[in-house]
Amino acid sequence: MQGQYNTPNTHKYSVILPTYNERKNLPIIIWLLAKVFEEHQLSWEIIIVDDASPDGTQEVAIELARAYGEDKILLKPRAGKLGLGTAYIHGLDFCTGDFVIIMDADFSHHPKFIPQFIRLQQAHNLDIVTGTRYRSTSTPYLAEAQPGGVHGWDLKRKLVSRGANFLAATVLNPGVSDLTGSFRLYRLPVLRHIITLTQSRGYVFQMEMMVRARALGYTVGEVPITFVDRIFGESKLGADEVVGYAKGVWQLFQSV
Amino acid sequence: MARLHRVSIYSSILISIYLLVLFEVLPIPLIDTNVTQDILPVIPWWLLVSFGSYSLWSLGWGVFTFRDCPEAYNELLQEISEAKTDLRSRAVTVD
Repeated sequence: MQGQYNTPNTHKYSVILPTYNERKNLPIIIWLLAKVFEEHQLSWEIIIVDDASPDGTQEVAIELARAYGEDKILLKPRAGKLGLGTAYIHGLDFCTGDFVIIMDADFSHHPKFIPQFIRLQQAHNLDIVTGTRYRSTSTPYLAEAQPGGVHGWDLKRKLVSRGANFLAATVLNPGVSDLTGSFRLYRLPVLRHIITLTQSRGYVFQMEMMVRARALGYTVGEVPITFVDRIFGESKLGADEVVGYAKGVWQLFQSV
Repeated sequence: MARLHRVSIYSSILISIYLLVLFEVLPIPLIDTNVTQDILPVIPWWLLVSFGSYSLWSLGWGVFTFRDCPEAYNELLQEISEAKTDLRSRAVTVD
């Protein structure tokens, strides 16, 4: 479908970046995003939804807006730490693009995969494209897709991850290989629709969005991504999170 | 209808058919009742063991084929330092 923007691609891509204490990472992730978008001649904007970070994230965001343009970097702060789902809803109010990309601001999601998402979306007219850490090829087929993977996970973490995904796949049959992934490209109206229906919080929220999207009949494609976890510091996964996850899967089973 | 409800309905139907055949209320055509009485009681356990082995295989295979990507990590580190130099020249505070 044709867009209305003045680029070869004719569409505009809004990235919603929820941040909390990302003063160190934010400039670099913006730099990477800007580089990818400019290289591929895409119309873009980044909406930074900051939850009142005490470390000066908002100051850096203002400097970045001055460097890249106020129309490209939008800072839309909030009064307190209000959670991921509402951060997206807040960010959606300011989107001027026709596609929305959601991702993490801590380098675990690399912007270099965004052109692949876009290419897959356009080739098959998909509503949603999600990144997967578990596959080596994309579905549907994309020639330039590289195998996915993770860096920084030990055997135990990998086992937990595979176990969690197996549980979700068996119980929910979601049709995607990476259900908790949060690196996704959505058509704007699709995201708006799904987000109004979603009720959970945390990473179960990401799962719920995908399960609901599938249940509503939206088309989803997957592109393998490399996931560099916790480039600074260690990845922790406690027993509470495991229980919370199982509860989340059960709730989705009951409600969707 | 939520997935839970769909799954409950299908399983209730299948379980009732299974129980009816097990207690010889419904006959299965073309198969001897001796044979059915040998096989039917074992079917639930067979399902359980099959599912268990499938899960174990799936997990094992999944962990075995879980790719590491050190090249992505190195590339990222390089890009971070490149980004820092460029950003400093644009008057953005990086550390």
